[in-house]
Amino acid sequence: MTDLVFDRVGLRLGARAVLEGVSLRVAAGEFVALLGPNGAGKTSLIKLGLGLALPSAGQISLGGAAPRALSPRERARRAAWLPQAERPSEPVPVIELVSSARYFAREPHREARARALAALERVGAAALADRSVHELSGGELQRCQLASVLAQGAPLVLVDEPGSHLDPRHQVAIYRLLGELWREGHGILCVTHDVNLLAHVGGDPRVVGLLDGALTLESRWLAPALAGELSQLYGVPLQAASGGGGRVFHISAESNGARP
Amino acid sequence: MRWLLHGLVCLAVLGAAPLLGAPLEGAAGEFILLELRVPRVLVGALVGGTLGLTGAVYQALFRNGLATPSTVGTMAGATLGALAALVLGAGALLGLPGVAAAAFLGAALVSALVLSVAARKRATMGDVLLAGIAVTLASSALASGLQFTADSQALFAATQWSLGHLPQVGYDALGWLGPLNLGSALALLLLAPALQGLVGGEELAETQGVPVRRVRQVALGAGSLGVAASVAWCGPIAFVGLVVPHVLRGFGVITYRQLLPLSWLYGAAGLVACDTAARLLLPGRELPVGVLTAAIGAPALVWVVARRRSLG
Repeated sequence: MTDLVFDRVGLRLGARAVLEGVSLRVAAGEFVALLGPNGAGKTSLIKLGLGLALPSAGQISLGGAAPRALSPRERARRAAWLPQAERPSEPVPVIELVSSARYFAREPHREARARALAALERVGAAALADRSVHELSGGELQRCQLASVLAQGAPLVLVDEPGSHLDPRHQVAIYRLLGELWREGHGILCVTHDVNLLAHVGGDPRVVGLLDGALTLESRWLAPALAGELSQLYGVPLQAASGGGGRVFHISAESNGARP
Repeated sequence: MRWLLHGLVCLAVLGAAPLLGAPLEGAAGEFILLELRVPRVLVGALVGGTLGLTGAVYQALFRNGLATPSTVGTMAGATLGALAALVLGAGALLGLPGVAAAAFLGAALVSALVLSVAARKRATMGDVLLAGIAVTLASSALASGLQFTADSQALFAATQWSLGHLPQVGYDALGWLGPLNLGSALALLLLAPALQGLVGGEELAETQGVPVRRVRQVALGAGSLGVAASVAWCGPIAFVGLVVPHVLRGFGVITYRQLLPLSWLYGAAGLVACDTAARLLLPGRELPVGVLTAAIGAPALVWVVARRRSLG
């Protein structure tokens, strides 16, 4: 069972405290949406969980061991990362980019390609397999990177702003696919700004909020109090409404944007 | 099948090279062929292969299309060492000709300096690049200072060395170049899957299992060892490491699984071809091969860049 546990984790970069006393447990098979304003430390928390950085205080456990104590290969077996879209440095074919996600497995390249192709089919991008990554639109690139995560096949998936830069159709598609992964038993920690997209995950995912480096919100998607809690987190009055068969949060019109 | 074709093309170049030139007859001809031309082709193949392969590896490692085997200062260090030996008067060191030994020491020292930066925990490849530029500039400045104090004979020898050439060294050089260059090539070729992973970004590659720091150390260590050995014997031969991978990319070789072995093969064949041309172009004299590689390499690079703007 791969769960990810942050125990009173702190991170300092120079004089700035990015995270302070963060305790969060993402149990195996759980969907946790991590919300919070810009600069709250969400991406830093994900990177700590992946072992890309060392915490300055506290303990992290990825499936029972500190991520930094594990070899990159062993980490790759436990957790996969969907980063904010970064364009690859060379115009490689999509299939090669996705095959690289199988590096940890030490398998023949033919096998890695087969798994990569299956993952591309799953995200509806099999037709892109031989295209150069430099010819892809932002949405296509993100779908291919999601295919990399699928090909890697780790039980825990850490996702950073999956909907950013995407048009609504692709946003919905990505969140639906994350929901499917969740129902297949993957644990998912999903950093997002766009709380309304959580409607497309389905079910009642857990919602936590990070503000100024500390966890200040612990709730669930369907909790009646969520609108008020989100208002506090973002510092703008949010209202819940029902529309399109689900919940929608929008900024109260009379507030006219941010309050001082 | 395709690999066989590439291998045959390169073997044909290596096989034909020693046979071209003035007709060889009798015992003298046999001596020229076996003792001069064949070892020279083998040295050219080892050195060219190392330069082409190392160039491709560094371009992946630094994620920058302008990276070359001299990016981490190896060539500048070798030049400094060779110059010091020529100016201060060189005897034989370690059983090697003094110039080669001093060039190797200089290259190894400078590379070790840059490697120590790369080995630091928080070092980014940008830091390594900066360290490479810094030691290159410092070495060049020291070399200029040495040149200032040199007499005209040493100065002439230094200039000749710095043009890059494949020496008439018989089989002695092969005893050194063989193990160092082949060992370095093997270590670098095995990095292909890891380097392919770096294309998506260093951090992403690490989450996919690539031991990024170790890959960096092996690539820089093995690369600078092979390049140091090459430069020590042949001087800084320009453009092979930069141009060969880019020309291959221009022909659609994109993944590192293909690019690394092909850069090795065509680096070897390319340098041997250039050296043979340098031997034949001027009747009665030899052109330094470094002049020829630069003369061909620079326009080739412009052609590739003009055709497609992709990397870096």
